[in-house]
Amino acid sequence: MIRASAFLPGLGRFYIGLVLAFLYLPLVIMAAMSFNASPFYQLPFESTTHWYVALANDDGLIAATFNSLKIAILTTAIATVLGTAASLGLFRYEFTGKRLLQALIVPPIAIPWLISGTAMLIFFFGTGIGRGLHAILLGHVALALPYVIIVVSARLQTFSRDLEDAAASLGASAWQTTWKVTLPLIAPGVIAGGLFAFAVSFDQFVVSYFLATPGQTTLPVEIYAAIRKGFTPEINAVSTIIIVFSMSLMLVVSRFFRFGGDH
Amino acid sequence: MARVEVQNVQRAFGDHKAVDDVSITFEDGGFYALLGPSGSGKTTLLRMIAGFEFPDSGSIRIDGAAVETVPANKRRIGMVFQNYALFPHMSVAANVAFGLEVSGQKGKDVRRAVSEVLDLVQLGDFGKRRPHQLSGGQRQRVALARAIVTKPRVLLLDEPLSALDKALRTTMQGELKRIQREVGVTTIFVTHDQDEALSIADQIGILKDGRIVQSGAPEEIYDRPNSEFAATFLGDANILDGTVVEGRLRLDNGAVVALPLDSTQTSGRMRCAIRPERVRLAVRNAGGRAEPGATVVWGTVRRRLFSGSFSRYAVDCGGSELQAIAQRGATRDLAIGTEVELSWDRRDLIALS
Amino acid sequence: MAVTGMTRTNGLKKALPLLLPAYGWLTLAIFLPLSAMVYFSLLTTMSSTTPSLTLANYAAFFSDPLYAVLLLRSVKLALLVMMICVVIGFPAAYVLAKIFKGRAREAIFLIVILPFWSNSLVRVFSWSMVLREGGILDVVLNAILPFKVSVDLMYSYPAVVIGLVHSYLPYMVLTCYLSLQAIDDALIDAARSLGASRTTILRRVIAPLALPGVLAGSALIFIPVIGSFMEPRILGGRGGTLYGTVIEDQFTAVYNWPLGAALSFILLAVVLAILLAAAPVLRKAA
Repeated sequence: MIRASAFLPGLGRFYIGLVLAFLYLPLVIMAAMSFNASPFYQLPFESTTHWYVALANDDGLIAATFNSLKIAILTTAIATVLGTAASLGLFRYEFTGKRLLQALIVPPIAIPWLISGTAMLIFFFGTGIGRGLHAILLGHVALALPYVIIVVSARLQTFSRDLEDAAASLGASAWQTTWKVTLPLIAPGVIAGGLFAFAVSFDQFVVSYFLATPGQTTLPVEIYAAIRKGFTPEINAVSTIIIVFSMSLMLVVSRFFRFGGDH
Repeated sequence: MARVEVQNVQRAFGDHKAVDDVSITFEDGGFYALLGPSGSGKTTLLRMIAGFEFPDSGSIRIDGAAVETVPANKRRIGMVFQNYALFPHMSVAANVAFGLEVSGQKGKDVRRAVSEVLDLVQLGDFGKRRPHQLSGGQRQRVALARAIVTKPRVLLLDEPLSALDKALRTTMQGELKRIQREVGVTTIFVTHDQDEALSIADQIGILKDGRIVQSGAPEEIYDRPNSEFAATFLGDANILDGTVVEGRLRLDNGAVVALPLDSTQTSGRMRCAIRPERVRLAVRNAGGRAEPGATVVWGTVRRRLFSGSFSRYAVDCGGSELQAIAQRGATRDLAIGTEVELSWDRRDLIALS
Repeated sequence: MAVTGMTRTNGLKKALPLLLPAYGWLTLAIFLPLSAMVYFSLLTTMSSTTPSLTLANYAAFFSDPLYAVLLLRSVKLALLVMMICVVIGFPAAYVLAKIFKGRAREAIFLIVILPFWSNSLVRVFSWSMVLREGGILDVVLNAILPFKVSVDLMYSYPAVVIGLVHSYLPYMVLTCYLSLQAIDDALIDAARSLGASRTTILRRVIAPLALPGVLAGSALIFIPVIGSFMEPRILGGRGGTLYGTVIEDQFTAVYNWPLGAALSFILLAVVLAILLAAAPVLRKAA
């Protein structure tokens, strides 16, 4: 063991390095190419910000970006509120059928998005709800809700019911108890649930793809269309911006919230 | 301050009757202990008085007004939980102020009330600390301060000292008693610890299987238990079975002893109890003479448990074992195998139903 | 005492206001659509004038072997990607959980799962920069190697596999890490003190305890990959025709929604069948 203990960690670090290279190199290359002048990704590298300028003038992509942000923010807000409320309902009360309700959280996660997406398309089309941003929002919230409920419920497992009883014994109403005691204590779970909701929505391509219409589309759908038309470094530029944006957001948030930790 | 009347209260969980037709009155300003083993229904009874549970039938009145359907936050009670249930995200002062603030009080009044009550529990300087920075005993005091600062009509304590070590528990028992006297609030204290109940409460109610088997002052229950359960759960007791024959009690081990003083039974089976500390031990034929009126039984010392100021003996008397406690110094220590005579005053023999 | 009160038994009335919005939403956007899809898959035509019920769409699946071949291909792809992710991800999670300590571990863990929050489409797209002819891999290999090679993995099955592994690897590292981290080091020391070798410890102690994480990661990867269509389209080209892309076509190109619905439903049945088949293992692990 002692002989191995010096060798294995070194090998382990090297291995992690390889995995990280596999995960990040393509992203780095793609970002680098957004600053390369050649429209056909030819080397040698010639620095330019031309593609970012072009992007700034691409109304379609910009509109799609704002749609994506709008929907992600709305999805986060709605799914976090509804999901937290549902988690509290499942946590506080006993009733027949509770296990069924808990089990119903699984299908939206366990069913491939291709199936949920096409099913939504059929249903929304058939009922007159139609396609477009409202339909995308409807779908995103449904996909995000189970994640919020799972994460918040997990946090509630560490929450003692005595605290709610204590607040009630001190005269607090159900509303005051929720706001002053329960929510502050499960806040890390609620924030984590919100992050999941944001990620599910902002990253969501499949469901958006089936529910988008030409004027009402999100960034991933627009990028997909552009890639299939034949790609230009403009896509690299917008992709780079997305990656920098989402990853920095997560880095900032992770400073306040330790993943899986109880802090 | 208030009087709490519980009348014919029942509460079942599925088939299990947690509280089964309980009636008990808690007088204004009294300090009551509900004592029972786990599963006896004492916590359920407390939670019904608090308003966390609701009776299936029966009534609960506080100050004469029926409250059995009133939710906890409208009952104006104070409660101390087993694990204190302090709000971990609030300072000590904020915890204590919580009950005042949710009722709409603000500013200087709240601050003054908080600092007064923290002084009362001797935590005047701890207002800014967080619960996790406190010791168990300090948390206990904060929980108590938080529960009484709102001037509740009734103070409920659910095994509040069970998480503390023994020395601290004794200190806190005294503290609780002092604070309860100062505040004067009707207090109901749930515990499974008989010593705690004996030392702290003015009145004790013993629960078993959802029913109150006996209630009264500690001395009364201890000296005059009405059942084997009450006798053995509250303190130790030797249980003696026998038959009443010609105004005497013939024990199943063959010894014949005097009937309990208050017994009027003239025949049939009888079960009695005698507290170990009421049993006197002497070496057999040592020349000492049993006091008049005393009953004598002979036996052999089997075990001795040394406890410092006293020793506890297990004595074999014709097949049944009797416990006796002897103050050291009053008697000399007896070796195992010593032939002894046990005696007691017939006034100390308790007839059980 | 484990006592639950009336506030908590038969509390449906009180729970309802909290539960209704979320479950109502799920019903509207998931459960009703899935039911509608079943109904739709039984229709003869999309036009609403005279639809009648039929099993023809399901019959189409069985009459044309192409669908079954593609479905099998998708299942195989999902299994392959899943297995590669286990092989790469489990050791990475192990190193992270048991060799790195403290802040370094937290930081690297964060870096590993950070790509989660970049866009999956963007991640797939980034591979086209690397894999195509004249792409980075081609240029770098030609610069290093003394002889001339032509690397053009773009629009091939391996490209699809690489792209999918890249997309889903973080899931595996995450779930394995969480279960490995929960294993008390004292257990490993205990096994060691009993004379177990390093491989025995791995096989008899660590692997069984980490199994839930591996299985969770596998499910999280298998389910989306079996229905993937975007990755094969971007990286696979002609070699990227899969069951998912056929379903996509029915909805976006051919506009035969009833057939698409039937194909989707068959996929769902296959996913459920596989999950059910794995249920005993899953239950044992849980």
